[in-house]
Amino acid sequence: MNPWLRLIIYLVAAPIIGGLLAGWDRRISARMQSRQGPPILQPFYDVLKLCRKEAIVVRRSQNFYVFFFLLLMIFTGALFFAGSDLLLVIFALTLATIFLVLGGYKASSPYSFIGAERELIQIMAYEPMVLLTAVGMYMVTDSFYVHDIARHPALLVLTLPGIFLGFLYALEIKFRKSPFDLSSSHHAHQELVRGITTEFSGRGLAMIEIAHWYESVLLLGWVFLFFAAWPVLGIAMSLLVFGLVILVDNVFARLKWQAALRSAWTVTAVLGFGNILALSLLRGHPAPPAAAAVPPANPPDQISAPAAAPSSNLPT
Amino acid sequence: MATLICALVLGPFIAGLGLCFVKPDRLRDVVVTVVTLAVWCGSVTLAIQPTPGALAGGLFERTGSQWAMLLTEAAMALYVIWVGIRSWKLLVVALMLAQTGIMAWLGFVSSSHLPEAQAFFVDKFTVIMALINGLIGGGICLYALGYMRGYHEDTHLEVTDRRPLFFALLFVFMGAMFGIIFANSLLWLFLFWEITTLCSFLLIGYTRTAEAQRNALRALTMNLAGGVAFAAAIAWAHQKTGVLELQALIASKQGLALVPAALLCFAGITKSAQLPFSAWLLGAMVAPTPVSALLHSSTMVKAGVYLVLRTAPIIAGTTVGFMVALVGALTFLVGSLAAITTSDAKKVLAYSTVSNLGLVVLCGGIGTHQAVWAGVLLIVFHAIAKCLLFLCVGVVEHRLGSRDIEAMSGLILNMPRVAVMMQIGMAGMFLAPFGMLISKWAVLKAVVDANPALSVFLVFGSAATLFFWVKWMGKLLEVFRPREKFEAEYGAGEAVALYGLSGATSLTCLFFPWISTQFIEPYVVGVYGVSVSMAPGNVVIMIIMMVMVMLFPLSFINYGRWVKVIDAYLGGANLQHSSVRFRGSADKPQEVVTHNYYLWEFVSETWLSRWGTVCAAVLLAIMVLSSMLTKAPARKQTQPSGLSGKTAAALTVR
Amino acid sequence: MIGFKESPWILHYDASSCNGCDIETLACLTPLYDLERLGVINTGNPKHADIFLVTGAVNPQSKEVIKNLYHQLPEPKVVVALGICACTGGIYRDCYNVSGGVDRVIPVDVYVPGCAARPEAIIDGVVKALGVLEHKYREMAALAESIDRVVYLQADRGDAPEILTLQKVAYQSEAELYGDDSLPALQQTLEELEKDFERRPAQEASELGARAAGDHPPNESDRIVFIKAVVNGKIIGSIRGYAIGDTAYLSRMMVHPYFRGRGIGRRLLQEVEQAFPQSRRFEAKTGHQSKRNHFQLGKLGYSRYKTEPFTPTVTWVYFQKERTLQPQR
Repeated sequence: MNPWLRLIIYLVAAPIIGGLLAGWDRRISARMQSRQGPPILQPFYDVLKLCRKEAIVVRRSQNFYVFFFLLLMIFTGALFFAGSDLLLVIFALTLATIFLVLGGYKASSPYSFIGAERELIQIMAYEPMVLLTAVGMYMVTDSFYVHDIARHPALLVLTLPGIFLGFLYALEIKFRKSPFDLSSSHHAHQELVRGITTEFSGRGLAMIEIAHWYESVLLLGWVFLFFAAWPVLGIAMSLLVFGLVILVDNVFARLKWQAALRSAWTVTAVLGFGNILALSLLRGHPAPPAAAAVPPANPPDQISAPAAAPSSNLPT
Repeated sequence: MATLICALVLGPFIAGLGLCFVKPDRLRDVVVTVVTLAVWCGSVTLAIQPTPGALAGGLFERTGSQWAMLLTEAAMALYVIWVGIRSWKLLVVALMLAQTGIMAWLGFVSSSHLPEAQAFFVDKFTVIMALINGLIGGGICLYALGYMRGYHEDTHLEVTDRRPLFFALLFVFMGAMFGIIFANSLLWLFLFWEITTLCSFLLIGYTRTAEAQRNALRALTMNLAGGVAFAAAIAWAHQKTGVLELQALIASKQGLALVPAALLCFAGITKSAQLPFSAWLLGAMVAPTPVSALLHSSTMVKAGVYLVLRTAPIIAGTTVGFMVALVGALTFLVGSLAAITTSDAKKVLAYSTVSNLGLVVLCGGIGTHQAVWAGVLLIVFHAIAKCLLFLCVGVVEHRLGSRDIEAMSGLILNMPRVAVMMQIGMAGMFLAPFGMLISKWAVLKAVVDANPALSVFLVFGSAATLFFWVKWMGKLLEVFRPREKFEAEYGAGEAVALYGLSGATSLTCLFFPWISTQFIEPYVVGVYGVSVSMAPGNVVIMIIMMVMVMLFPLSFINYGRWVKVIDAYLGGANLQHSSVRFRGSADKPQEVVTHNYYLWEFVSETWLSRWGTVCAAVLLAIMVLSSMLTKAPARKQTQPSGLSGKTAAALTVR
Repeated sequence: MIGFKESPWILHYDASSCNGCDIETLACLTPLYDLERLGVINTGNPKHADIFLVTGAVNPQSKEVIKNLYHQLPEPKVVVALGICACTGGIYRDCYNVSGGVDRVIPVDVYVPGCAARPEAIIDGVVKALGVLEHKYREMAALAESIDRVVYLQADRGDAPEILTLQKVAYQSEAELYGDDSLPALQQTLEELEKDFERRPAQEASELGARAAGDHPPNESDRIVFIKAVVNGKIIGSIRGYAIGDTAYLSRMMVHPYFRGRGIGRRLLQEVEQAFPQSRRFEAKTGHQSKRNHFQLGKLGYSRYKTEPFTPTVTWVYFQKERTLQPQR
């Protein structure tokens, strides 16, 4: 599929899918708590209502940060689904989240301040694992590019089991669900009031919601990459993982940030790094760099695979 | 070309020595400005000319110059020994005697048959370093004019005004730095290396307080240790290979050049304050800000990693290289984690410098063409961004009277220009799509291709890096106090440096493909024969991201027209609609106070330093030992451009 | 129209309740009644909420909190007084510290009596509040669109409450500029403002810190002139002025933040100048940081002539203008 077409489909469909995912999240959580739960379209109603509320802020420029958070989140997802370099996707995602954090700082209120600090701790907790995931995928597929990884014939999860499990751990943090909803919690939890989103209302809050939808789609797309060789299994596993995230959210209480950071880094070091170490030993890395000292007759070597635009079997 | 180089090396020297005697302020301003402009012109002229490779040394190859070198070295040795005796630091005396002893032995053994050496070597890497030293160094000298005036007249009245000496040392240092960059002959390189050590010692101890003297001596000791290693490298190289040229060493058989390379790396590691030698850089922060910016972030410490990167082709793929890479990686991780725990702005910057230099050392240790490309890129971007940050912190410290990050709360309101430039600097240090991020990306790719196990240091370190930078950025943005407008944020000289560097931070990442193709890739091709670049698609995406980020300030145009400003949520206890004052317990009015997280229960600075030092010391020991024990097969020779005929002849003789 | 009915977020505050009504409210969120299926989320944050549920009677400690929380709720908002204590004070009505129900402090839209109010009643109340919310939203939307029909009239004493509300809203931005919440405009009470309508220019002069009234004898029949700008029956801008001798003194120019940047301020200045046809000189004062006001005054021919410190954060800057001889109209 033409990457531009994929891009447009993504731009339009991702918030819808993300919103539906959020709606299912609330529905399933409610059912787990023996309740009915809101309609599936509830997140859309919420966002529509928020857009109609009065715009109030604590500092005049705080909503700009959130706007850029949304913009860059869309950009990140667009990069991912267009098949670009996975590391670049991670860096763009970090950039987007940092804009949200800066917005939280800008709002200059004690609750948003704590929320921003804890969001940073969360980022610090999951970032190593996410980077190691990209590294692991590179080691197996020899490319950082999403469209190359997606077309890899082997099932990645079989060679990257540790990384997959570590990634799931990081996913729980990224989705901001218990036990890692340190910075802000959706729905009913009220410790820290609303954390980082405390001082945002109306359009600002709506933008944060929509950005979360884009993020969910991006993250589940990444889960799909682990199973990209069998697309149907991939979609099923993405949804299953999402269900697992919701289950863990409902079962566990919130951890203290120390426990969250320690456990995340331990999981990264053991599962993630262990996987990488195993892969490198099995494949005989490192290749002796003396081989790189070759007479200048060779054509220039690119540091990353060429950014071609072939078709891919990534859905949407 | 040779004259230009001699001028660049000697000009600042002479200017520096002259400045010793210039007492009036205004005259000094004029002299410094003129010399800086001359240096700028010289550096740019050098950059646009084609690079010839090895060069005859002009002035530096006359017989008289050898005597000048000996005399200078003797004078420095005597001075250092005297300093050591005066301060009861026997280690200093011992190290200096060891160094002098080795050099004297070398002179004795070779009598007057030191092989002829091409004094200079100029390739694209040299040009980059020269540009950094000239442009950034010159900018800092201009900054220092206004800064030191304020330093002595406003904030630090208790420090004796020794500005003639201060500026003299700045320029002597600049000249010495040029010497290090251009030198091919190891003897000359060593001389200039030691001159920078001495300059650093004198500048750190500028304020003459007990703490400053203690730290100056610590810097001296550690750098002297590096100097001893350097001298040993020269001696060994002379004895075993007979060559005293850096380029010849790089070209020679790996087995023979490994020990000198390892020892040179040792020297580079001390100069760049890697673990286990990081303590001196952290202590050097007591010096005035221009010193911190010039010596201890942008230029002098870059000399160390410059040397490591130069020797990278020799040590690539060996245990020595692996150990060097490990030391760099460990320093990166430890430095990043330690920076989280402190709120002293200059200390944070020092730790950040140390850890980023660790990345460059990591690249040098790995030694593949990708790694070296990434390393040079890191040097360029780090020099610019870190210098900008130090200069901004200097200005802020001057106005606020404190360098505590907690005191910088709300700076965006009080000193908006400086705050914005600090944001640019900090973004330039770790955020996509700025330069350091591109470099770190390149490092990650190089590491993964060469030795994936090392990537674990990188990923944990970058996560930690993010934390302390964004913490600081947020502190500048939050506003809890009403605006207290300071009259003028900075003077003219400071403005030139600050604006120039901010522009450079933003523009270098827009123009980095050009920088890469013009300067870095030719160097890498020259050494490895293989070229490296970033895929054009990625370049385009980075530029798009850069444009988006630059659009951010434009959003302030429609600044708050349609929003209603309401006080923050304080549990409903706000007093008179204030976002800061609230009714506390017993109805007492209180104010909101926020403090950053320092993660003290998670990361302990002392524990990290102690264990980091121990591990790194072990690694260094292994490095030196393995270099002596390795019987590596001779690797295929690469022919770097400009290998002089004389040294080729020398190679065949031994 | 999909709007507030589908997604009402509540802020639940316990003023001085015995917690009976609070428990019943929280019971609404339990599986038996499950308010979340109506889209209700109990946010703890006024900025996210639409419906302000208050339980318990009002005592001095909770009065300020209720005012603050209400102030921080974004429009459109409704207040539901839950339980008889919140409605009227309940059985605690005659206590020494209870001033009564929530409507002593903020306007209430829905009253849900009961002790404790039952979940069914609470749900009923919330649903009713949703209707009020929808209505308010439609009003707000209509207001925002009707800007071209601004009418400038002289205000009288009956307009005092509206002008006071406008004053408090409009001077928020000034308070921000100076970092000083204790600006006189923000601290004024309704009684003081109503007295302003009655006050003589001489008293006004000494109160408002203009030049000494002894310069010119006050004209007893002059009163203070208040001009208001009205949109759809709502006051969205105001200015006042009085004349002593030859000079007319203008002050307290304010425009609602929603309606700024549309020339209303300038028009107010012109209107109030026309209200003093005999005055040959106009004087206005504003704070030293209020650059927007300086700009407006400059555009209308005023020039700065004096500064005078008022508080550590505020310095008054005085502008003056000589009127051209022929009348404006």
